[in-house]
Amino acid sequence: MASLSYSTASRIAARELRASRGKFVFVILSVAIGVAALTGVRGFSSSFRSMLLLRARSIMAADLSAKTTRQPTPQEQVGLDKIAVTGVQETQVAELMSMASSTTSLDPLLVSLKAVDPTKYPFYGDVILAPAMPVSQALTPDTVAVGDDLLLRLHLKIGDSIKLGNRAYRITATVEEEPDRLSGSFAAGPRVLLSHDALASSGLLAAGSHASRRYLFKLPSVKTTTARSDEDVAALKSQLETLLPEAQVNDYREANPALTKGLDGATGLLSLMSLVALVLGAVGVAMAMRAHLQQRLDSIAIMKSLGARSGEIMKIYLFQTLLLGLAGGLLGVVLGIGVQLVFPLFLAKLLHITPDFRLDPRSYAVGLGAGLLTTLLFTLPPLLDIRGVRPILILRRAVEISDDPFATRLARKLRGSLAQIGAIALILGGLAFLAARVSDSRQVGGFFAAGLVVVLLVLLAMSALTLYLLRFFLSRTRLHLPSAVRHGLSNLYRPGNPSAALLAALGLGVMQIVTVYIAQRSVVQEMQISTAANLPNIFLIDISTDEVAGVRAVLAHQPGVHGAPEIIPVVSSRLVVIDGVPASQLKLQHMPRRMLQSLSLTWAPSADTPPGGDKVIHGDWWTAQQSAASAQHPLVAVERMEADRLGIKPGQQMTFAAQDTQFTATVAAIYEADSRHVFSRAEFVFPAPVLAGLPVVWYGGVHCDTAATEPLLRALYQSFPTITVINVAATLETVRQVILQITYVIQFLAAFSIFAGIVILASSIAGTRYRRIREVVVLKTLGATRPRIATIFSIEFAVLGLVAGFVGLIFANILARLILLRVIHFDYHFQPWMDLGAWLATAALTVAAGWLASHRILGQKPLEVLREE
Amino acid sequence: MLETNETGAGKSPMIVVDGLRKSLRTGATTVEILKGIDFTIERGEFAAIMGASGSGKSTLLGLLAGLDNPTSGNVHLNGTAISYLPEDKLAQLRGRTIGFVFQSYQLIPTLTALENVLLPYELNDATGNRKTGLERARQLLESVGLTARLDHYPVQLSGGEQQRVALARAFILRPPIVLADEPTGNLDTNNGQAVLDLLLSLNHAEGTTLVLVTHDPALAAHAARVITLRDGLVVGDAHQVPSTAHL
Repeated sequence: MASLSYSTASRIAARELRASRGKFVFVILSVAIGVAALTGVRGFSSSFRSMLLLRARSIMAADLSAKTTRQPTPQEQVGLDKIAVTGVQETQVAELMSMASSTTSLDPLLVSLKAVDPTKYPFYGDVILAPAMPVSQALTPDTVAVGDDLLLRLHLKIGDSIKLGNRAYRITATVEEEPDRLSGSFAAGPRVLLSHDALASSGLLAAGSHASRRYLFKLPSVKTTTARSDEDVAALKSQLETLLPEAQVNDYREANPALTKGLDGATGLLSLMSLVALVLGAVGVAMAMRAHLQQRLDSIAIMKSLGARSGEIMKIYLFQTLLLGLAGGLLGVVLGIGVQLVFPLFLAKLLHITPDFRLDPRSYAVGLGAGLLTTLLFTLPPLLDIRGVRPILILRRAVEISDDPFATRLARKLRGSLAQIGAIALILGGLAFLAARVSDSRQVGGFFAAGLVVVLLVLLAMSALTLYLLRFFLSRTRLHLPSAVRHGLSNLYRPGNPSAALLAALGLGVMQIVTVYIAQRSVVQEMQISTAANLPNIFLIDISTDEVAGVRAVLAHQPGVHGAPEIIPVVSSRLVVIDGVPASQLKLQHMPRRMLQSLSLTWAPSADTPPGGDKVIHGDWWTAQQSAASAQHPLVAVERMEADRLGIKPGQQMTFAAQDTQFTATVAAIYEADSRHVFSRAEFVFPAPVLAGLPVVWYGGVHCDTAATEPLLRALYQSFPTITVINVAATLETVRQVILQITYVIQFLAAFSIFAGIVILASSIAGTRYRRIREVVVLKTLGATRPRIATIFSIEFAVLGLVAGFVGLIFANILARLILLRVIHFDYHFQPWMDLGAWLATAALTVAAGWLASHRILGQKPLEVLREE
Repeated sequence: MLETNETGAGKSPMIVVDGLRKSLRTGATTVEILKGIDFTIERGEFAAIMGASGSGKSTLLGLLAGLDNPTSGNVHLNGTAISYLPEDKLAQLRGRTIGFVFQSYQLIPTLTALENVLLPYELNDATGNRKTGLERARQLLESVGLTARLDHYPVQLSGGEQQRVALARAFILRPPIVLADEPTGNLDTNNGQAVLDLLLSLNHAEGTTLVLVTHDPALAAHAARVITLRDGLVVGDAHQVPSTAHL
């Protein structure tokens, strides 16, 4: 049997496309918007994220750091050399306290020395010196850079010399900003930055010196797709932990948990948005193609009656689909590039950042391919329906109604649609593949694909149930209802009406859009809390008890200072015994044993709640009664990381020694510190009575506007010259800005995907209008006015919107909850008012889209349509 | 509102067609379908409009019903010029003045037979008593022999049955005019004859003015007057004795 040639098939396909151009604009737009959102969101977010990740790394100045108190053993050095061979760069930072003095006055001053390799340090971020110069130029074997408080205290200026150990060094610059100031040690005394060579020649590194060392590591070429490099970081981390069992190994993600969490949240969200964009586009295509084929039933029947086989007809529509997918995909890529070009302009205006933008042909190819693939996948079911079209249709336009019980019909339907089931399986497989390709978070992709399947099934079931109930309701009430309502409701199950498909598409769309909304809102809210402007950014070290009141007074009157300062007592102590095991025999996890000699203990200001920023994760915080009785029965709460290193659990007994006093406390709770409050600087919290009478120094923290730090530092120095002030305002401001930027980007992209989704859904609804034309005409002929017809359609659309919105919202909440809690670890809050609003908005938008779409057919002259009969 | 139920021919014209022209533009070409039609149909008259396919008869019928605007000329129904009325005014006028019977029935698929018949009543008789309408719908369906099919959907009915529902629908508001476009065109001979008989007997009973469009001389033979169209012009207008008497 001769078959339809490809050229004929494509000719027919092209003719049909030309004949109903207007209709296909919707299809092309759906694909285009989906692909645009996909390429735009992905391209933009990947370049934006790589920029943010660089910033996140700059807080540690490296990908990983290993903190230790001694030189590596020869064996460890071999291991480190092996790592270096793989392309990982490594540099050492040594930090120690020492005395410095002016070469003229010889007044000694406690300083915190930091020795670096000027050719390598820092791997990320910049050391800002004044006057501006590269680190390698400022730090030679004979020169140092110092904090300006040192110049102030020793009455020196740049170009003068200071004496460190047994020799003098020329001061070349002041240190304005060190990228890793937050992750270094918070030692007392002004900063002196120098090279390893310079430190070596000072003689300060004699055996037994208390220098702490940080090894900084940088992985070879950080890729823009960061999921990969994060795996590398994790791999190197565990490698280092094995190699240097005593060292405290951290990766850049741990340097600022809030920032990392923000990035993770953003990654998950952006993956979600890409997927949503893609699937919504596909839904739009499926709906439009379904509507199109429905209209072509007559032509299909005619072709079949002339001897065309289903396969040949499918060929025609396959061509059409391909052409549409290609056109839409190309348009989408162009739009996506536009998105990528326009967003930065907005952001540059708003945030004063300009992420670097590459036009990445590969990502456009992926976008185009995804567009084409989804179009094909989602058009499969309607294409397969062609096989079911019987030529009799041209003789008798009838839809068979069977009186068989539902189960029999279902079974028959299933048997008859094995190919459809296969198609659905293919779609899901294809989607899973795309999700894996598109999503940087495999878990988001997984939840999303699973959610999609469940929701589709539930939606189809729900729509069947709704239609069944409606029908039942109508058969009971039929003639008692106002006729417009009755007619509107009846329309929902008109033969060949896509109610079920439209319900599924709408419900799916609502689910995705609302999921994006809920998730982005939660992430943004939490991140905004973490960027609260009053967190301490100036730290005060070594305040004596007599000075506390005075410090508070100075801070209270200083302009630019916000809120009351956090000033915490610190009792220096040693750990002696845990549960009968002496400290010297404890099994420590990644902790230099020497650290057990200098632990920071503090007490909580409130008798029964954890200090600001601390959150109990195991055990229970003490009550006021327990606190009052704690002099007899001491309790202690341990910071989580410290507890991990020491292997501590609630209920254990720890014995501490502060000067000559020993006391044993029961571990009541393990808490997590947010590393933004001053209390994060102490690892052990006690009820106040436990530490009463022990020697105390105070640490303080206060928030000061970045611009006002200079006068504050001077005022503090004038009144309290012995207090060390560490200014991390600039660093923290960077972190805050980055987090804010993330929230803006998330909101921007979420708004974009939501908007794109609404447009696509609206066009799906609009696509059903061709089916209504005939009905409009008949109604008009019978005397119906346009408002009357609009009322009938509004009722139909409102019911559609309400049902789809209801199901969609329920699943949006479930999906958002899963993603927030399980994948990106943010809080989920049920927001009934938002849900109610979204529900009504769905109904309103559905009706509005229906109106817009029906507007033109309502104005059409009946004869124009009847003539075509 | 136009007065209904006025029987008796020749009192005053029910339909006046005046210089009616209609052209359609498809792409670059303009097709003149009606090239200037004039005639008058009296109250209660039964006229057939005949012509070959493409002679413009369906377009003429559509213009009579106000389903489209003419290019020029006008149609007066019961003294009202309808051709340039606003869309919604026209719809109301149609609903109350005209009953329409289509070749392909044009029932609303989501409504039952009874609801389909009731639809014009609901659409047009805003103040109407629902019970009255329902009663009339039932009675009409009974008169077309569909008492047992009240709650059936159009797809559950045969072509002849669907057209009988359409007939009942056309008459429910007792419109002064009924327009029928090849009402038997989609039906076999037996069903066609039955539908025609029903149409004529309803027309007789209700005393409406009936205009029927057909290409079938046998059908036209039942009319008292035959207007013949060719290429958009009236080429014949003859009064005749209807071929058969109808009950």
